[in-house]
Amino acid sequence: MAYRIQRLPSSTPLIAFAARVIAVVLALLVTALILVITGHNPFELAGEVLSSSLFDSFGLQDLGVIFMPLMLTGLSVAIGQQIGAWNIGAEGQFYAGAFAATAIGLFIPAPDWLSLILMGVGGFAAGAIWILVPTLAKAYADVSELISTLLLNFVAALLVYYVATGPWHDRMTNSATPKVAAEIPEFWGAIHWGFPIAILIAIVLALVLSNTKWGYEVRLSGSNPSAAKYAGIPVRRHLIMVMLLSGAIAGFAGMLEVAGTVHRLQGGISNNYGYIGIMVAVLARGSLIGVIFTGAFMAFIQNSGIILQTQGLTTSAVLAMTGLILFLTAIGEELSYYRITRDKV
Amino acid sequence: MDLITGLLTTAFLAGGVLALAAIGEVLAERVGVVNLGVEGLMAMGALTGIAAVTATHSPVLGFLAALAVGAIFGAVFAFATVMIKANQVLCGLALTLMGTGLAQTIGRSYSGMPAVATFEPISIPLLSDIPILGKAFFSQNILIYLIYLILPIGLSYLMFYTRHGMNMRAVGENPAAADAAGISVNTIRFCYVTAGAALAGGAGGYLTLAFVPSWSDGVIAGRGWIAVALVIFAGYRPGMAALSGLLFGLITALGFVGQARGWPVAPAFLSMLPYLGTLGFIIVPVIAWQKMRRAMAAPAALGEPYYRNVR
Repeated sequence: MAYRIQRLPSSTPLIAFAARVIAVVLALLVTALILVITGHNPFELAGEVLSSSLFDSFGLQDLGVIFMPLMLTGLSVAIGQQIGAWNIGAEGQFYAGAFAATAIGLFIPAPDWLSLILMGVGGFAAGAIWILVPTLAKAYADVSELISTLLLNFVAALLVYYVATGPWHDRMTNSATPKVAAEIPEFWGAIHWGFPIAILIAIVLALVLSNTKWGYEVRLSGSNPSAAKYAGIPVRRHLIMVMLLSGAIAGFAGMLEVAGTVHRLQGGISNNYGYIGIMVAVLARGSLIGVIFTGAFMAFIQNSGIILQTQGLTTSAVLAMTGLILFLTAIGEELSYYRITRDKV
Repeated sequence: MDLITGLLTTAFLAGGVLALAAIGEVLAERVGVVNLGVEGLMAMGALTGIAAVTATHSPVLGFLAALAVGAIFGAVFAFATVMIKANQVLCGLALTLMGTGLAQTIGRSYSGMPAVATFEPISIPLLSDIPILGKAFFSQNILIYLIYLILPIGLSYLMFYTRHGMNMRAVGENPAAADAAGISVNTIRFCYVTAGAALAGGAGGYLTLAFVPSWSDGVIAGRGWIAVALVIFAGYRPGMAALSGLLFGLITALGFVGQARGWPVAPAFLSMLPYLGTLGFIIVPVIAWQKMRRAMAAPAALGEPYYRNVR
């Protein structure tokens, strides 16, 4: 009897899930190993992370605060993936949304409830505007959205840094704008109503994609564009809509961060959320409901980094670990297509 | 006159970073592999350059160490994308996150410290007396000649005038045909992706040893991504990659001059120029130069893993 390794055209969700779990565990092991080499005690650190995040009500609140933007940027990337577009620019759209929300909050006098609605709309619109040029370039000139969306991240970061330290800066701090008057009310500690809204957006979009004609056409355009075009589906129009939606959601995440969590605009407000959102979407394998869970997981990883800062570790170390998880996940995803089969003689 | 000389001098110096990284990316993309990890490779190279020069006081050793670290990370990336055939976009992004994160974590102890020794400018006798160009090009550090003369000319010759170069391009255009002709697709891909990554690491080393001369968290500032974009603009040619690096050096230099002369534009907006410029340079040619499209087109198998037994 002979065994053969064979690559199948598709892999099952169960095996793909297992591959991701293994990738994450391996990445954690490598990290633990590096911690041991650099003279830390990984068990002690893990104990500290668990006790001060999952088994502590303030810790859980911190987790929730990081979860909101991460889940939404992950959702933004995952939506783009439905039609085969990589939105690497969620970071920039996040900044743009935060920028627009702050502008509305600071300069348009309105009662709080109206101000919040305007900020929300502004966040959506700014995110969509920020991805407009890459979207049109991809739709009409076939310019890869990978680099065009990414380049605008740097522009957005510079713009926010400039207004936060320059024309809009607060006389007291000099590094951030004054406080925005309207705040999203909180319902549990630091967790505000943006939390359920974010989850609701994910669920509604998942339902729309799986249950409507539009959703079906989008998914078909993503998996086989030429077949979709042949079937008379307006692939280009769907691509433009989906990419703008992707940008809008990342922009909304930026608005929530300003109106609900930070309450002012400052340089670096995005905290790499846009880049880690890619990780959230990849772990979820493009599933919009899955993003809720992988978003929670990545929020936990991110929060661990913040807790461990007292131990001399940095958020950059967490970024490196995120990269390692992504790397191993990509390898695991490919390997999940392989089966060992037995030849029948 | 002094303004033009100054502009060109800075342009050659600043453009060297982009040119070197872009030439490296040309090598990887010509054999069919998109490496989006350039940003991370440059971060690791930049940090390695500073660390090695601090230890040895020799910028040459620092640059070689940066090349080596780029090659090591590149080999890991090539193993994943060429041997295992994992998704190139994901592995590239992962490499960027890993390299940037790792460099920032290790680099904290080097932050803000100037390089103890750098590549000093050397005036070449006679040639440096040429008006404008003499000062701007022939009075630079030695890496400039490697980046703008030796690598582009040598690699262009290798790629377009030798049998090996033809094999190499065949692997990027049609790996199945290349395989049938007896060329080892995986070996060629692995070697050139690794070599390209080494140059990206070297570009980081150049940044901290000849251009900025110090390490800080955001020192790469998206230059890796600009380099990836320049490859498209350069039509996947090493010579054009060096020239477009120079063009972007010129844009950067304009920003510096603007800041120094107190143009009524906030520095933040001048800093946006390279990113917006790059965006323009990858969109405009597609629309404007329809006729050039074929000559400047990407290798046909770019981004696609090659499975021998499929189809």
